[in-house]
Amino acid sequence: MSNILSIQSVTKFYGKIRALNQVSFEVPAGSVFGVLGPNGSGKTTLLGIVMDVLKASGGRYSWFGEPPSEKQRQKIGTLLETPNFYHYLSGERNLRIAAAIKGRGTEDIPRVLEMVKLTERKDSKFSSYSLGMKQRLAIASCMLGDPQVLVFDEPTNGLDPVGIAETRETIRQLAREGKTILLASHLLDEVEKVCTHVAILQRGQLLMAGDVNEVLMNEDFVELGTGEGLQAKLQGLLAGLPGVRQVKPYDQHVQVFFEKGVMDTGELNRYCFENGITLTYLQLRKRSLESKFMELTEEKNKSGAAVAR
Amino acid sequence: MLNLLRIEWMKVKNYRTFWILLAIVIVSVPGLSYMIFNIMDNSFPKAKNGKSILGSPFAFPDAWQSVSWNSTLLFILPAILIITLTTNEFTYKTHRQNIIDGWSRKQFIGVKLVEVFLLSLLSTFVVLLTVLGFGYIANKVPAGISVWQGSRFLFFYFVQALSYFTIAFLLSMLIKRSGLAIGAFLIYMLLENVVVGIFHNIYHINAMEYMPEEVTDRLIPFPYIKALLDVGRWEHLIPGYLAGAAVYLFIYCLVMARSFLRNDL
Repeated sequence: MSNILSIQSVTKFYGKIRALNQVSFEVPAGSVFGVLGPNGSGKTTLLGIVMDVLKASGGRYSWFGEPPSEKQRQKIGTLLETPNFYHYLSGERNLRIAAAIKGRGTEDIPRVLEMVKLTERKDSKFSSYSLGMKQRLAIASCMLGDPQVLVFDEPTNGLDPVGIAETRETIRQLAREGKTILLASHLLDEVEKVCTHVAILQRGQLLMAGDVNEVLMNEDFVELGTGEGLQAKLQGLLAGLPGVRQVKPYDQHVQVFFEKGVMDTGELNRYCFENGITLTYLQLRKRSLESKFMELTEEKNKSGAAVAR
Repeated sequence: MLNLLRIEWMKVKNYRTFWILLAIVIVSVPGLSYMIFNIMDNSFPKAKNGKSILGSPFAFPDAWQSVSWNSTLLFILPAILIITLTTNEFTYKTHRQNIIDGWSRKQFIGVKLVEVFLLSLLSTFVVLLTVLGFGYIANKVPAGISVWQGSRFLFFYFVQALSYFTIAFLLSMLIKRSGLAIGAFLIYMLLENVVVGIFHNIYHINAMEYMPEEVTDRLIPFPYIKALLDVGRWEHLIPGYLAGAAVYLFIYCLVMARSFLRNDL
């Protein structure tokens, strides 16, 4: 599969602050690619750089395998940070300007207005719109001309629960149509629900990037339970098992984390039995992106603290 | 470029502030000259033959110089128009959106420079109409002189307008806020006059004539008391003033391009 966007070692300094540090990843065609990170992690900075509103301090990026140019941006529907429109013009007139800049005709405007349910208010000035309506107009503007690639930065910002659900459905619909979507969010469940790929950023550092299933797969772990008093023995036993990454007690049970792709629950059960422990409880768990995210950022914080010391 | 201008037109054609400011810019040119004309006509003693002691500054050929000079007093008005339109883009962050939607940074800055040029042309055209109005309607065309004698002042006005308007545009690109940019424009206009006044007129440092605004100001000398001007020296220095104006215009564009093409938006 070819890559729509390729980012190589992009670094960005704001004065002495390093907002992005050597970030590299590829966005495959047809993927819904989530860029995940807490506020201030560099998501918007990264998207700003690939849309040429910010200048990278180092590194390169390419769209559609070519060096960046304004012609490529015309083919991408982008919602970056906040909706930016002329306050004194109506919603429709604003869309006309956006369509003209993208080099498209005006015939698509009624469709996108209907899509975000702004047809009735199309002649009202942008300044009279509510926050949610502004956001919806921005989404409409992205859809102009039915682009094959979309970039959304916090698309559900300012929307009410219905608007959030509708926007997510829109994104899923776009994904079903085979469009490539780059979605930045600090809302983990948003990313988890719609994304096929994910990159996790923290303080400008790329912690992990790849297929959502791959990222989550090495998160598979097993919770085991055994008779009273045997927990310590079980822990010791598991620690010696090849492929085990981490063993830790959790309530009455023991959680065992494996290296990627080596876990076999049947094998595990037999191993314990043969070594004199009968399991009373065995549960395969898949971690949510949220716990993965917390773990990654915690590890990062610890190692950061260690370096500081 | 025509397509870019069409999009810029879409931005302003339904913007009431734009039309109000433009109307003020257009009306103020004949308005101010008419005020000065009236004052001169009514307030100064006339000689026995009915002629003003100041001559006929609003008849051909002097009307070219007088109206052009009067109109340079009004540069703040088109400057406000330019600053408002430019800083709106920063206030609404539409400069970012235009780039995101598919303009290059060069296109954004290029079309705005063309607009500054067009506004200078328009304002020069209004001055032309005003000159013709005074020359033909308010006064009789004196016998034996060509109507176009002195029309080079119209070109000097254009150069001066282009220079001032580009400064206004540069300030709004650098400062990004309308109030501050208008303030900076006014302060610079006054400050330069004061500095030139002190160093040129008191300490006789002639190089002060080549300050950014002074160099274009000198193209159109004060029209009403001709004895103040050393005409020979002025004629001799005109090419230097024009060259100075061109150099400054180049510098303004360079500074703007450096800041807008290289920095974060």
